[in-house]
Amino acid sequence: MLWLTGMLLKQKALAARRDWSTRTFYTVAVGAGAVLFLFILFGSYLGARTLYDDHAWKLLASIPAWAFLIYLFTDIFIAFGQALGDLYLSSDMLGLMSMPLRTPSIVVAKFVGGVVQNEVYVVTFLIPFVIGFFYGTHTPWWAYLPTLLGVIVFPAMLYAVLSCVTILTLRYVPSRHAKEVLWLLGATVPTVFWVASFSGIAHARGNLETLQLPQAPLWLPSTWIGGTVASFATGAPLTALAWLALTMSVALVACPAALAFVSRAFEEGWTQSATVGRRAVLASAKLRRTEPAWIALFRKDVLVFLRTPQLWFSHITSLGFVGYLLVGHKVQTPLLPLTVQLAMVQIGFVAILAGLNPGMTALSLEHGAVWILKSTPLRPSDILWAKFAVTLGQTAFVVIAGAAALAYGYGFGIPNSAALLGFALVMATCSVCFGVLFDTTFPSFQWENPNAINRGVRMIIPFLAGVTVLLFSAALLGTMRVVMHGERAVAVGLVLSALTAGWIAHRTLQQSLRNIAAMEV
Amino acid sequence: MPIPLIEVEQLSKRFGSTLAVNRLTFTVNAGEIFGFLGPNGAGKTTTIKMLTGLARPTAGRARLNGFDIVRQPVQAKRVFGYVPDEPQVYGKLTALEFLNFVGDVFEMKPERKARRIIELLKLFGLEHDAGSLLGSFSHGMKQKVMLCSALLHEPKVYILDEPTVGLDPRSAKLLKGILRDIASDGGAVFMSTHIMEIAQALCDRIAILHQGEIVALGSVHELRVLQGKETLEDIFLTLTGTPEERRLANII
Repeated sequence: MLWLTGMLLKQKALAARRDWSTRTFYTVAVGAGAVLFLFILFGSYLGARTLYDDHAWKLLASIPAWAFLIYLFTDIFIAFGQALGDLYLSSDMLGLMSMPLRTPSIVVAKFVGGVVQNEVYVVTFLIPFVIGFFYGTHTPWWAYLPTLLGVIVFPAMLYAVLSCVTILTLRYVPSRHAKEVLWLLGATVPTVFWVASFSGIAHARGNLETLQLPQAPLWLPSTWIGGTVASFATGAPLTALAWLALTMSVALVACPAALAFVSRAFEEGWTQSATVGRRAVLASAKLRRTEPAWIALFRKDVLVFLRTPQLWFSHITSLGFVGYLLVGHKVQTPLLPLTVQLAMVQIGFVAILAGLNPGMTALSLEHGAVWILKSTPLRPSDILWAKFAVTLGQTAFVVIAGAAALAYGYGFGIPNSAALLGFALVMATCSVCFGVLFDTTFPSFQWENPNAINRGVRMIIPFLAGVTVLLFSAALLGTMRVVMHGERAVAVGLVLSALTAGWIAHRTLQQSLRNIAAMEV
Repeated sequence: MPIPLIEVEQLSKRFGSTLAVNRLTFTVNAGEIFGFLGPNGAGKTTTIKMLTGLARPTAGRARLNGFDIVRQPVQAKRVFGYVPDEPQVYGKLTALEFLNFVGDVFEMKPERKARRIIELLKLFGLEHDAGSLLGSFSHGMKQKVMLCSALLHEPKVYILDEPTVGLDPRSAKLLKGILRDIASDGGAVFMSTHIMEIAQALCDRIAILHQGEIVALGSVHELRVLQGKETLEDIFLTLTGTPEERRLANII
């Protein structure tokens, strides 16, 4: 088991070597990651220091558990897909299952590989939080190392649970339905949690000395590691060590053991998933009239999208974010006074998020069949317009729904609702354009999981570009609000943002067209 | 006077410091089945990718029915049907939807498209699977769908990369018959294969590629005379094999 785990990790490490001709992008992406690390580090330090100086002991004691809880339920989005992908969609499973290897060894090796791969998020988000929090609360130096070790192994528990759920589901539920159900659950459950838990937090009341966040569920691993951090920070080392011991023993002993046991059900489920029965034949195969090439390509992509629930993932989470905004508004916890411009920026952020994944996978979703696009008489413009229409169409559908919900929840009238909708579509267009440009520049047709088309750390670049445009547009909206006031300010701000987006769309789509024309398969 | 449907002049492809294909020159005329042979890594697939627009030549030209694949890509791509070595198709489309899609891309008239789809699905025994998702098809069934897509718009030129791999004997025999019919109707077939028996039985002319260069070009009879060997396999091994393989070929 250990030998196989080491072998698979070595293969992952070798596969992770990148083409250094694109080192500029890597430098930017790594730099952005470093900035994020430092931002979280200093933010955590300053926040913890402030609460420490103000003797907000209860709040200090309750924050870590919620921080890890938020991470846990955000990681579910990734971990669900990773468990399914690593165990059932990975192309090396065919080879591994036919080798003289014990099935539990394969499952545990895959599990460890998935956890290791996830550690980049732990390093980026959790490590700086813990270091900043400890430093701000004057935690003894000797507490750092054991706590950080606990943080590193903490995600393993989530992966183990989700791997067990996946294995058992695919063993006992027909695989064609099971996979789709798992994808949808993986998006819906954490989204609902996010919205519901925010409502709980938003109802917290009290002054700084008595204020504390609601008690996080004790049975969650995030509460154990959060308890470790909080106990060390508030001078209860024995309690901290007890929580740490619980975390480590479950992560390093109980989870692998449980996984090895449950993996007995893996082989049968994998066999079923690898030999999907054919669907019933259509009774009458109707033939359609001929369509223009780009519409035929558009229709093909729409059918693929509708038949692939994995691709709805990012849209569900985007709508969940709208729910989060509405709950915050309902419980009256505004950080800033609500204005129509602020609402526009909020939905603009949702639109940026919603458009990124469709745009960044527009061409790569062709997978191995990309040869069809380049060897048939499809013009590069046919390909670009079809891809742009599909990605913008699905994104627009989501942001329109989100903008309508937000406008209704905020009690906006028709003019402000229209402004919200317009700005959402403008930002969605920008996001899709950046995504398509990225995908045509760095296409990847060799993937196993459509939600994990990996282009390395440079994948952060379209997000940064989208956020930059959003901030620029926010500045335009704010400036017009100061200069003009009222509905005129909103309208002018929207028009200026739309002009900016138009310019961006023109430049990015032109480059995308050149990329498609020059693409080799 | 033979009419060239595929014209390749000094075609080359370089990947970094590696010259994968080096100054290939040949033609494939109407009514001809042209075999393209070579060991693994010789450059066959790279050549085919350049002919079909999947890769851009570093130097040289390729014309299909007079249209330059680089300068007139859309016109050139209308002229041929292509079957790659790996049957990669859209797993979430049914066979019927996929062929409809291909027919639309080639701007086929609806009636002709419908007639051809039904004919081809029946010909390859796929009529009962027309409504099934391609993701559930076996390798051989996908290969048949690929052949249907290449034959659908009845082009003059066919570019086939290992077309018989994965086909059952019935379908392989059917394909050979179809290729002979295409040639006798004035079309041209450019086919790469590792199966010497097929190349020997079907091809009017053969090019043997080795390390990116054509080392032999002619009919099987011409190559036999030139190389002094009886079979195409011996000729192939002599021209492309290692010294040990050539020694074995001479002994056997």
